[in-house]
Amino acid sequence: METIIETNHLGKAYNDRVTALADVNFVIRKGEFVALLGRSGSGKSTLLHILGGLDAPTSGEVWINGKSIDFSDRKALIALRRESIGFIFQSFNLIPALTARENIEYPLLFNYHDRVARRERATDLLSLVGLGDRAHHYPREMSGGEQQRVAIARALIGDPLIVLADEPTGNLDSKTRDEIFSLMRQVNQEQETTFLIVTHERELGRRADRAIELLDGRVVS
Amino acid sequence: MIFGRLFDFLKVSAHQVARKRMRVFLTALGIAIGVAAVIGTVSLGEGVRYQAVEAIKEQSDLTLIEATADIRGGAIQFITPSKIDELAAVQHVEASSAVVREAYTTKRQTYLEVVGIDPGGIEGVIRPKFLRGENLEPGSRQAVLGHDVAETLQRYEGVRFGDTIPILIRRYDDDGMPVDEEVQFTLVGVLQERDDAFDQVMLIDRRVAQDLRGDEAAFDGVLIRVDQPEEVFSVVDDVKALGLTAKGAFQQIESVNQLMDVVVLILAFFAGVSLIVGVLMIVNTMVTSVFERTREIGITMAIGASPADVVYLILAECFYIGLIGGVFGNLLGIAFTGAINTFGKPFIIAQLGDTFSTFAEGDITLITPEILAIGMVIAIALSLVSGLYPALKAAHLNPVTAIRTGV
Repeated sequence: METIIETNHLGKAYNDRVTALADVNFVIRKGEFVALLGRSGSGKSTLLHILGGLDAPTSGEVWINGKSIDFSDRKALIALRRESIGFIFQSFNLIPALTARENIEYPLLFNYHDRVARRERATDLLSLVGLGDRAHHYPREMSGGEQQRVAIARALIGDPLIVLADEPTGNLDSKTRDEIFSLMRQVNQEQETTFLIVTHERELGRRADRAIELLDGRVVS
Repeated sequence: MIFGRLFDFLKVSAHQVARKRMRVFLTALGIAIGVAAVIGTVSLGEGVRYQAVEAIKEQSDLTLIEATADIRGGAIQFITPSKIDELAAVQHVEASSAVVREAYTTKRQTYLEVVGIDPGGIEGVIRPKFLRGENLEPGSRQAVLGHDVAETLQRYEGVRFGDTIPILIRRYDDDGMPVDEEVQFTLVGVLQERDDAFDQVMLIDRRVAQDLRGDEAAFDGVLIRVDQPEEVFSVVDDVKALGLTAKGAFQQIESVNQLMDVVVLILAFFAGVSLIVGVLMIVNTMVTSVFERTREIGITMAIGASPADVVYLILAECFYIGLIGGVFGNLLGIAFTGAINTFGKPFIIAQLGDTFSTFAEGDITLITPEILAIGMVIAIALSLVSGLYPALKAAHLNPVTAIRTGV
């Protein structure tokens, strides 16, 4: 299977003392649904930010879709975020001033898309995440679970190579957590979208294709 | 493409602005008050200028210009026949006539300012209204007197309509001794009072004047009648372009304009100080707004916005503040000038005295579309400038720390 992400001796240290990541090596292939497990402070979020081009490693390499990422090239990093990455965050993901559909369209504002096509795609994605009737609702009018569904749709609108989710179910009750997780799994299976999901819940890790576990910045399994 | 993006950004920012209506309105009010103050003072200045210029137009013969010789780069630009033809061909010149200027004295030593001009020129350029009599006959030693000089000659020399006026022209004989030649002019016409320089002038035929001077090619100036008051300054420019000097009532308007330019500028400057307060309010509001939305901006960058996109998004919000400030500033400004007209005018007229009594009829302020447009531009431009610092601050946020804020 095609390799989407590969890390090569990836390391991140702060002030040459605190080591957030050390010698991280793994491969994620197309269509995989991977959980990134680890306790709080284990370096999960840092890794996710580096893979998404938001943060730079202090050593090692990241290959995305066969290309090594040049972390000093800011334009290339912006292009990477626009074209290859979809982000989902833990909570308060959405722009409060915009409706559900506008939030989904939001990333394409920065990526020069045709307005009509953009709107159609956003409407389709709203149906996909089961919010076809909430297009004109604002985030404050939606539950936490519904907001995360919108965030998933937003992450998908650019047809990214991989969706990076940082504790996407962290702030939800257990029933909603299952729903959101199932939705991501469903999208993964139906659309063959690759997912890397950061979580500290081992149970969710078991429901992924496989899990990468970090402990003190190192991959332990 | 670029307009599509601009439209998208303006739409997103419109949502952001709409979400904080009260805050945006109060901030915009700051800039609006500044704009209103500028509009009020500038319109007052423009109003006074307009009234003064109107008063000049009413009291003087604005469309009459005289082109005279000028010294350019050390060389005198004489009035030559070719210059006369060129002046006649200038656009908006309705009529023109070359003149000879002389100073004669009567036999009883009354000083006379004399203009030698073709009778046709008197008709076409000076456009006289005769109190008595009529125009000169070409080639004859006849005179038409201005109102005041006619009165003077009648009072001190007893010269009446139809009489001859004995004039002494000083010449020098072969030995250099002065010899006065006496010439008789018949008074064939007296002009009505005009309230301009022609009240003091004796008009004679140009050829007679040249003949008496002994130089048939001598010209001292060209009188020009402009077809419309609005075109006077364009004709003046053309006259100057020919290397000649232009004189006339328009010079009073020039003086008023120069004075009012300075007055309006100073007034606008002091009124503009209040704009600084407005600018500071916008900076404060936008810095607060950026601070509150740190996480939102981080997420925006994470999903693909470049720092420039963030700058544009924030500036688009400032654009709305400026737009609202401009609209309210203009409305307030119009209300302000209304108040000046109602309450301030009687006071100003009392201060200026009778000279400016014409003000009583019209509005003392003048709002033109240009003033309102400038008010709008000032409001929007200042808002955008005020937004630069907050926008750059937002664009320089580190997305990673920004996203972690407020979780």
